[in-house]
Amino acid sequence: MSGAVSTAGYLARRAAQKERVRILYRRALKETLNWAVHRHLFYKDADDLRVRFEANKHVEDLDTIDRLIDVAEASYNKWRHPDPYIVPWAPGGSKFCRNPPPPAGIEILYNYGKEDND
Amino acid sequence: MALRTAVLRHVRIPVQTLTLNGSKQQLWSLRFMSSHDDHITKAEVIERVLSVVKSFPKVDPAEVTPEVHFQKDLGLDSLDNVEIVMALEEEFKLEIPDKEADKIDSCNLAIEYISNHPMAS
Repeated sequence: MSGAVSTAGYLARRAAQKERVRILYRRALKETLNWAVHRHLFYKDADDLRVRFEANKHVEDLDTIDRLIDVAEASYNKWRHPDPYIVPWAPGGSKFCRNPPPPAGIEILYNYGKEDND
Repeated sequence: MALRTAVLRHVRIPVQTLTLNGSKQQLWSLRFMSSHDDHITKAEVIERVLSVVKSFPKVDPAEVTPEVHFQKDLGLDSLDNVEIVMALEEEFKLEIPDKEADKIDSCNLAIEYISNHPMAS
Protein backbone atom coordinates (compact mmCIF):
# COMPACT_ATOMS: atom_id res chain seq x y z
CA MET A 1 0.00 0.00 0.00
CA SER A 2 2.65 2.46 1.03
CA GLY A 3 4.63 1.36 -1.99
CA ALA A 4 1.73 2.28 -4.26
CA VAL A 5 1.33 5.65 -2.50
CA SER A 6 5.00 6.46 -2.81
CA THR A 7 4.99 5.44 -6.47
CA ALA A 8 2.01 7.70 -7.11
CA GLY A 9 3.74 10.49 -5.20
CA TYR A 10 6.91 9.94 -7.19
CA LEU A 11 5.00 10.08 -10.49
CA ALA A 12 3.09 13.20 -9.47
CA ARG A 13 6.27 14.98 -8.45
CA ARG A 14 7.96 13.83 -11.63
CA ALA A 15 5.06 15.14 -13.77
CA ALA A 16 5.18 18.49 -11.99
CA GLN A 17 8.92 18.71 -12.63
CA LYS A 18 8.48 17.86 -16.29
CA GLU A 19 5.89 20.58 -16.68
CA ARG A 20 8.14 23.08 -14.94
CA VAL A 21 10.97 22.20 -17.30
CA ARG A 22 8.77 22.48 -20.40
CA ILE A 23 7.48 25.91 -19.39
CA LEU A 24 10.94 27.06 -18.40
CA TYR A 25 12.30 25.92 -21.76
CA ARG A 26 9.50 27.73 -23.55
CA ARG A 27 10.12 30.98 -21.70
CA ALA A 28 13.86 30.70 -22.08
CA LEU A 29 13.48 30.09 -25.81
CA LYS A 30 11.36 33.22 -26.16
CA GLU A 31 13.90 35.14 -24.12
CA THR A 32 16.60 33.93 -26.49
CA LEU A 33 14.60 35.26 -29.41
CA ASN A 34 14.24 38.59 -27.62
CA TRP A 35 17.97 38.92 -27.11
CA ALA A 36 18.93 37.81 -30.61
CA VAL A 37 19.06 40.74 -32.99
CA HIS A 38 19.00 38.58 -36.12
CA ARG A 39 17.47 35.26 -36.88
CA HIS A 40 20.76 33.54 -37.68
CA LEU A 41 22.06 34.54 -34.22
CA PHE A 42 18.94 33.08 -32.65
CA TYR A 43 19.50 29.66 -34.20
CA LYS A 44 22.90 29.30 -32.59
CA ASP A 45 21.69 30.62 -29.22
CA ALA A 46 18.71 28.27 -29.31
CA ASP A 47 21.02 25.32 -30.00
CA ASP A 48 23.17 26.34 -27.03
CA LEU A 49 20.09 26.57 -24.83
CA ARG A 50 18.99 23.14 -25.95
CA VAL A 51 22.41 21.72 -25.14
CA ARG A 52 22.21 23.20 -21.64
CA PHE A 53 18.86 21.48 -21.10
CA GLU A 54 20.04 18.19 -22.61
CA ALA A 55 23.11 18.14 -20.35
CA ASN A 56 20.95 17.16 -17.34
CA LYS A 57 18.56 14.95 -19.25
CA HIS A 58 19.46 11.74 -17.40
CA VAL A 59 19.49 13.03 -13.83
CA GLU A 60 17.30 10.70 -11.77
CA ASP A 61 17.38 12.05 -8.20
CA LEU A 62 14.28 14.15 -7.49
CA ASP A 63 15.91 16.62 -5.12
CA THR A 64 18.79 17.18 -7.50
CA ILE A 65 16.30 17.85 -10.31
CA ASP A 66 14.44 20.36 -8.13
CA ARG A 67 17.68 22.14 -7.33
CA LEU A 68 18.71 22.21 -10.99
CA ILE A 69 15.34 23.68 -11.99
CA ASP A 70 15.62 26.32 -9.27
CA VAL A 71 19.07 27.29 -10.49
CA ALA A 72 17.84 27.44 -14.09
CA GLU A 73 14.82 29.57 -13.17
CA ALA A 74 17.05 31.94 -11.22
CA SER A 75 19.32 32.26 -14.24
CA TYR A 76 16.29 32.84 -16.48
CA ASN A 77 15.01 35.57 -14.18
CA LYS A 78 18.41 37.20 -14.10
CA TRP A 79 18.53 37.43 -17.91
CA ARG A 80 15.01 38.66 -18.59
CA HIS A 81 14.88 41.10 -21.48
CA PRO A 82 13.79 44.63 -20.46
CA ASP A 83 11.81 45.20 -23.66
CA PRO A 84 10.57 41.84 -24.91
CA TYR A 85 8.74 41.29 -28.18
CA ILE A 86 4.98 41.28 -27.65
CA VAL A 87 2.56 40.19 -30.36
CA PRO A 88 0.83 43.41 -31.54
CA TRP A 89 -2.71 42.56 -30.42
CA ALA A 90 -1.69 41.24 -26.98
CA PRO A 91 -1.74 43.45 -23.86
CA GLY A 92 1.34 45.65 -24.05
CA GLY A 93 1.59 45.20 -27.82
CA SER A 94 1.62 48.09 -30.26
CA LYS A 95 -1.91 47.44 -31.57
CA PHE A 96 -3.52 46.53 -28.27
CA CYS A 97 -7.04 48.05 -28.16
CA ARG A 98 -6.44 49.96 -31.41
CA ASN A 99 -9.50 50.16 -33.62
CA PRO A 100 -11.61 47.77 -31.60
CA PRO A 101 -14.82 46.44 -33.10
CA PRO A 102 -17.78 48.72 -32.33
CA PRO A 103 -20.08 47.53 -29.55
CA ALA A 104 -23.11 45.48 -30.49
CA GLY A 105 -26.28 47.47 -30.94
CA ILE A 106 -24.58 50.51 -32.45
CA GLU A 107 -25.42 51.19 -36.08
CA ILE A 108 -24.81 53.95 -38.57
CA LEU A 109 -27.76 55.74 -40.16
CA TYR A 110 -26.60 56.54 -43.67
CA ASN A 111 -29.65 58.61 -44.54
CA TYR A 112 -29.67 60.61 -41.33
CA GLY A 113 -31.67 63.84 -41.81
CA LYS A 114 -33.03 62.69 -45.17
CA GLU A 115 -35.49 60.15 -43.92
CA ASP A 116 -38.50 62.29 -44.79
CA ASN A 117 -37.39 62.90 -48.36
CA ASP A 118 -37.37 59.23 -49.28
CA MET B 1 -2.37 62.58 -61.38
CA ALA B 2 -0.38 59.72 -62.80
CA LEU B 3 0.22 58.45 -59.29
CA ARG B 4 -3.46 58.68 -58.53
CA THR B 5 -4.44 56.61 -61.56
CA ALA B 6 -1.69 54.12 -60.77
CA VAL B 7 -2.97 53.71 -57.24
CA LEU B 8 -6.58 53.52 -58.31
CA ARG B 9 -5.75 50.84 -60.82
CA HIS B 10 -4.57 48.59 -58.02
CA VAL B 11 -7.41 49.22 -55.62
CA ARG B 12 -10.31 46.83 -55.94
CA ILE B 13 -13.50 47.52 -54.04
CA PRO B 14 -16.25 44.94 -54.34
CA VAL B 15 -19.36 46.43 -55.81
CA GLN B 16 -22.22 46.13 -53.38
CA THR B 17 -25.55 47.88 -53.18
CA LEU B 18 -26.41 49.57 -49.95
CA THR B 19 -29.83 48.59 -48.79
CA LEU B 20 -31.32 50.01 -45.64
CA ASN B 21 -31.52 46.70 -43.83
CA GLY B 22 -28.51 44.75 -44.99
CA SER B 23 -26.00 47.56 -45.25
CA LYS B 24 -24.57 47.26 -41.77
CA GLN B 25 -23.44 43.66 -42.05
CA GLN B 26 -21.86 44.17 -45.46
CA LEU B 27 -19.94 47.27 -44.52
CA TRP B 28 -18.65 46.01 -41.22
CA SER B 29 -17.50 42.72 -42.56
CA LEU B 30 -14.55 44.59 -44.04
CA ARG B 31 -12.80 46.95 -41.63
CA PHE B 32 -9.68 48.61 -42.93
CA MET B 33 -6.66 49.10 -40.64
CA SER B 34 -8.10 46.53 -38.28
CA SER B 35 -6.37 43.33 -37.25
CA HIS B 36 -9.54 41.82 -35.90
CA ASP B 37 -11.32 40.65 -38.98
CA ASP B 38 -8.82 38.74 -41.06
CA HIS B 39 -10.07 35.31 -40.09
CA ILE B 40 -8.54 32.30 -41.77
CA THR B 41 -10.37 29.22 -42.89
CA LYS B 42 -9.85 25.85 -41.28
CA ALA B 43 -8.44 24.39 -44.50
CA GLU B 44 -5.77 27.06 -44.54
CA VAL B 45 -4.99 26.45 -40.86
CA ILE B 46 -4.53 22.73 -41.54
CA GLU B 47 -2.27 23.36 -44.51
CA ARG B 48 -0.07 25.85 -42.67
CA VAL B 49 0.16 23.78 -39.48
CA LEU B 50 1.22 20.76 -41.52
CA SER B 51 3.81 22.74 -43.42
CA VAL B 52 5.29 24.04 -40.16
CA VAL B 53 5.46 20.54 -38.68
CA LYS B 54 6.92 19.11 -41.88
CA SER B 55 9.67 21.69 -41.97
CA PHE B 56 10.79 20.83 -38.44
CA PRO B 57 14.28 19.35 -38.90
CA LYS B 58 13.78 16.18 -36.86
CA VAL B 59 10.51 15.23 -38.54
CA ASP B 60 10.12 12.97 -41.55
CA PRO B 61 7.70 14.96 -43.78
CA ALA B 62 6.10 11.79 -45.13
CA GLU B 63 4.77 10.83 -41.70
CA VAL B 64 2.92 14.07 -41.04
CA THR B 65 -0.87 13.92 -41.18
CA PRO B 66 -3.50 16.12 -39.48
CA GLU B 67 -4.02 13.48 -36.78
CA VAL B 68 -0.40 12.90 -35.90
CA HIS B 69 0.76 13.06 -32.26
CA PHE B 70 4.11 14.83 -31.89
CA GLN B 71 5.72 12.60 -29.29
CA LYS B 72 4.01 9.25 -29.86
CA ASP B 73 3.98 9.18 -33.66
CA LEU B 74 6.83 11.41 -34.73
CA GLY B 75 9.35 10.31 -32.11
CA LEU B 76 10.02 13.79 -30.76
CA ASP B 77 10.66 14.64 -27.12
CA SER B 78 8.94 17.22 -24.95
CA LEU B 79 11.41 20.01 -25.75
CA ASP B 80 10.87 19.44 -29.49
CA ASN B 81 7.17 19.76 -28.75
CA VAL B 82 7.81 23.15 -27.14
CA GLU B 83 9.80 24.23 -30.20
CA ILE B 84 7.03 23.19 -32.59
CA VAL B 85 4.40 25.09 -30.61
CA MET B 86 6.61 28.16 -30.65
CA ALA B 87 7.07 27.83 -34.40
CA LEU B 88 3.29 27.64 -34.76
CA GLU B 89 2.90 30.74 -32.64
CA GLU B 90 5.25 32.62 -34.93
CA GLU B 91 3.55 31.31 -38.06
CA PHE B 92 0.11 32.46 -36.94
CA LYS B 93 1.27 35.58 -35.04
CA LEU B 94 -0.19 34.28 -31.81
CA GLU B 95 0.72 34.54 -28.19
CA ILE B 96 -0.46 31.40 -26.44
CA PRO B 97 -0.38 31.37 -22.63
CA ASP B 98 2.25 28.97 -21.26
CA LYS B 99 -0.20 26.59 -19.62
CA GLU B 100 -2.29 26.24 -22.77
CA ALA B 101 0.71 25.91 -25.04
CA ASP B 102 1.91 23.11 -22.80
CA LYS B 103 -1.27 21.14 -23.52
CA ILE B 104 -0.87 21.25 -27.31
CA ASP B 105 0.79 17.95 -28.13
CA SER B 106 -0.69 16.86 -31.45
CA CYS B 107 -1.51 18.28 -34.87
CA ASN B 108 -5.19 17.81 -34.15
CA LEU B 109 -5.13 19.93 -31.01
CA ALA B 110 -2.98 22.59 -32.64
CA ILE B 111 -5.36 22.90 -35.60
CA GLU B 112 -8.35 23.03 -33.26
CA TYR B 113 -6.78 25.69 -31.04
CA ILE B 114 -5.57 27.91 -33.86
CA SER B 115 -8.73 27.76 -35.96
CA ASN B 116 -10.78 28.72 -32.89
CA HIS B 117 -8.46 31.57 -31.95
CA PRO B 118 -9.93 34.94 -32.93
CA MET B 119 -6.52 36.54 -33.52
CA ALA B 120 -4.94 33.86 -35.70
CA SER B 121 -3.80 35.27 -39.01
